[in-house]
Amino acid sequence: MKASRGELLDYVLRTIEELSRDWDYSRPVGPESLLFTELGLESLDVVVLGTAIQEHYKFQMPLAELLSDVGQRERRDLSIAELVDFADRYLNGKISVFETRVSQ
Amino acid sequence: MSVKTLLIGLDGATFSVLDPLMEQGVMPFLKSFLAEGARANLRTIVPPLTPPAWTSLMTGRTPGQHGVFDFFRMESAAGRHIRFFNSNDVQCDTIWSLASRQGMRVTSLNFPAMFPAPKISGHVVPGWVPWRQLRLACWPEDLLDRLKTIPGFNQRELAMDIKLEEKATEGCSNREEYGPWIELHIRREQNWFEILRHLIQEDPSELTAVLFDGVDKLQHLCWRFLRPEDAKPLDADWEFTVRELCLKYFRQLDGLLEQMCELAGPQATVMMASDHGFGPTYEVFHINTWLQKNGYLAWSEGAAARDTEGAVLGVGQVARHTWLLDWSRTTAFATTPTSNGIHIAVNRDGNSPGVPVAEYPAFRRRLVEQLRAFRDPKTQEPIVTEIWTREEAFSGPHAEAGPDLTLILRDGGLVSILPAPEPLSQRSTIGGAHRPIGVFAARGPGMKAGITAREMSILDVAPTVLYSLGLGVPCEMQGRVAEELYHPESLDSHPVRRVKAGPAGVNGSAHSAVNSSALPSQNGSGAPPLEYEEAVLDRLRELGYIE
Repeated sequence: MKASRGELLDYVLRTIEELSRDWDYSRPVGPESLLFTELGLESLDVVVLGTAIQEHYKFQMPLAELLSDVGQRERRDLSIAELVDFADRYLNGKISVFETRVSQ
Repeated sequence: MSVKTLLIGLDGATFSVLDPLMEQGVMPFLKSFLAEGARANLRTIVPPLTPPAWTSLMTGRTPGQHGVFDFFRMESAAGRHIRFFNSNDVQCDTIWSLASRQGMRVTSLNFPAMFPAPKISGHVVPGWVPWRQLRLACWPEDLLDRLKTIPGFNQRELAMDIKLEEKATEGCSNREEYGPWIELHIRREQNWFEILRHLIQEDPSELTAVLFDGVDKLQHLCWRFLRPEDAKPLDADWEFTVRELCLKYFRQLDGLLEQMCELAGPQATVMMASDHGFGPTYEVFHINTWLQKNGYLAWSEGAAARDTEGAVLGVGQVARHTWLLDWSRTTAFATTPTSNGIHIAVNRDGNSPGVPVAEYPAFRRRLVEQLRAFRDPKTQEPIVTEIWTREEAFSGPHAEAGPDLTLILRDGGLVSILPAPEPLSQRSTIGGAHRPIGVFAARGPGMKAGITAREMSILDVAPTVLYSLGLGVPCEMQGRVAEELYHPESLDSHPVRRVKAGPAGVNGSAHSAVNSSALPSQNGSGAPPLEYEEAVLDRLRELGYIE
């Protein structure tokens, strides 16, 4: 299933807003919201969220690479927009999982 | 509709803990259950680890056949990155998909490798899903909202909180943490029970299953309180208090077992099983440190200093090894602290660091010999008692995804993957670690009473569950129906049937679990929904069954 970056962002925001009601998280959620420090997620939460995105749109992305990158940053965090950008690159064929694996 | 088979998972349960508890009067119901039913030791697979072992129990197949080896797996054979396991890794049918496809309703609660949830006829609340994401994981999609109507339902305490999971392997930092942690697991098991009761009363399934994982957690952290005879005798008041809380957990579990059997009714077959056993662990083998000292691995600059920030064994930092290691000088490494697996970096394209393909067999042989030769400097005893090569441990179509070597340590414990001054260290307190022999118990129509059967394999559980449901057992399952548990006349009147699964039986994960007649038609024709058909065809194409 193809989707534009905007549609992908809408889906992720909608999903997080729906989930966050279960956490009693009442602050606004937007593209710049930080998954770890603001929303309080763990890396495994992001793995599950990423798996749900892949399942919904039926594509694959190497989430472990993204998390590895985040782990080496000065600020160990990830915004919703960054997650969406990463997913967009794989969903919309800008880069394939195969290319990533070959380059490793 | 009523429950035909109730499967109760007791993660990590061992008779070495349960038998004394039954004798001490802590678990009177379990004692009576065994007196009226059958018991057997249950041998698990290699490695004795939760995700592959429960998947073997659910599929009747070994990891090389079903595709789950650890909590994590390499993203690709040539890559360095690992990812958390999920249900898409399960490459064959499960008891859930088989029963559902044959028109039965299924309820599966808290089993691993169930997210994304298979779209079975019934209910799935997967285990090993962070509590914040539980809504995404439940099937059907409205299930979480239905469960929220249960009085006392607590989503946060029900599902996984990774910080608490890490505590099970890393220990409580102070004595005050034990009490709240054990009480949490007491409430958590009650939570799972309330869900089970709600679903049995409101919307029952022929195959109903629930997994209680607090047994494993308590045994990891509280082994010395549960079995003081394996450690130094309890002394301080707080230690006796912790032991009492452990007994409270098992007393409550016993009560839940009784209530579940009552809910299932006298005509139901009830089976209890664990994924592995348990025993004490006294030491830590720092595997990557050993590999480094023997020239197989190099730490990246500053790796040792960096990890002192939060030197934990846990599963939180899934990508840690990618920056801890100097990949240009590493030929063998362990990525996870959970499976005791060593991966060998192979130079497959001729241009990468790692072992040239042609040298792999000799390289691996040498590594095995050196591991076998590693001794306790004080006693000269070997530390690594068994080493399984990938072919030995994981034969099957998915062997490539498993580690090159799997180690069994002399104290049954798990390795550490972090930098350490020496390869071997003593634990400050004795903990619990997995062992190969778990438990099986069963009671039900046609079954013998009060017997201790010969050792079973964990692969035998799935065929025995299917038999108890009156279903055929796919030939592809490596286990057998435990016929010794049944009266001969029962077997005569209901003979075991081995059946060919055929193409429709391929893949028990998300897409092939549905018997379309058991779900509301989505296209009004009674035919399977088109999306479902396409998904099945895609899967069969991927597996090479059709072009």
